[in-house]
Amino acid sequence: MLQYINLKIDGVNIRAAKGTTVLDAAFEYGICIPNLCHVPNLSNIGACRICIVEQIVNGRSKVTTSCTLLVQEGMIIKSNTDKIRNLRRNIAELLVAQAPNSKAIQDIAVRCGVKKVRYPFRNEKCVLCGRCVRACTELFRAKAIGFVGRGKNRHIDSPFGVLSEFCKRCGACIDLCPMTITPCSGPMKPGKERLCGECESQLYLSDKTPDHCVWCELGKGFQCGRY
Amino acid sequence: MSLNTMASIIEGRRSQPHQLIEVLQDVQEQQGYISEDSMRVISKDLGVPPMEVFRVASFYKAFSLKPRGKNVITVCMGTACHVRGAKLIINQAVGQLKVQPGEVTEDGLFTIDQVNCLGACALGPVVTENGKCHNHMNSSKLRKLIKSLKNTGTEETAND
Repeated sequence: MLQYINLKIDGVNIRAAKGTTVLDAAFEYGICIPNLCHVPNLSNIGACRICIVEQIVNGRSKVTTSCTLLVQEGMIIKSNTDKIRNLRRNIAELLVAQAPNSKAIQDIAVRCGVKKVRYPFRNEKCVLCGRCVRACTELFRAKAIGFVGRGKNRHIDSPFGVLSEFCKRCGACIDLCPMTITPCSGPMKPGKERLCGECESQLYLSDKTPDHCVWCELGKGFQCGRY
Repeated sequence: MSLNTMASIIEGRRSQPHQLIEVLQDVQEQQGYISEDSMRVISKDLGVPPMEVFRVASFYKAFSLKPRGKNVITVCMGTACHVRGAKLIINQAVGQLKVQPGEVTEDGLFTIDQVNCLGACALGPVVTENGKCHNHMNSSKLRKLIKSLKNTGTEETAND
């Protein structure tokens, strides 16, 4: 039998099944928490840190990723305070500086309120969200790709750098990758990377209308409702 | 050589995925590095996907994926050693052995390695040779050390 747990997210009383994450519980009740590395039905690793929330424990607040936080009885979660918005904006800024050539990441940057990128654009091809790795290992049970190395040398690779014989060529890794969709105005030329910000005007809706999920208005190709 | 030693290392640990790191450590100790072939053998015999073996082997600094020389000369590049001229020591070593750090000399005897601190800052500049510590290093001491290592290396090969 399913056990249910009562908690509060942004002041909303929420009843969620035991074992679900705060992020999933929030989605069920229409509370939109920006996220990147989360894929429904796959394990969560908290790689992108976009989905951070504030958890109030004994009057003190603790910042954690909501995708790796399981629901507990009487939990108080705040997902849209000033503190969280500032932190989230900074994380989104770092992400867009790392990989500006992606619609998904540009969308997240706009959604999190990035106005200016203070960091040099690195124009990397990967943000190490681990979506492809988890899809490959958990969904398709292939283990054909994975993380290699560590620290700043960490990257995604197939074993020994050649295509693994376990690869089923399902293409799930490409399908789930946030880097496969280029910004609306086409791929950015090297040295001309910028913050896109063309959809910024849609943000005012989220400030004016409380229940309006801007996230789904932005980024038609890559949004929280896609998977 | 590798197949026999591989078999002896893996013996008694077949189909035990949790033994992965121990097996990799033994391979590293016996062969000096972990080759692609030995990783494939390990993955087959332990029942671990090749990706997992490669991920673990590439993650830990204790495992080397490139061949290493018989003698590993480790130069400390920590703050204290740097102040006392570790840069000069590494330049000397590079000049004398004619290899870049992380590579093997042509005769397969030496590898130069850099580490960030060996924890013996009062004795700097510190150089270790196969785990043996040499303190207050300078170029003449380094030359002597390399010479003695070369001699022991040739003696051993002569005895074989």
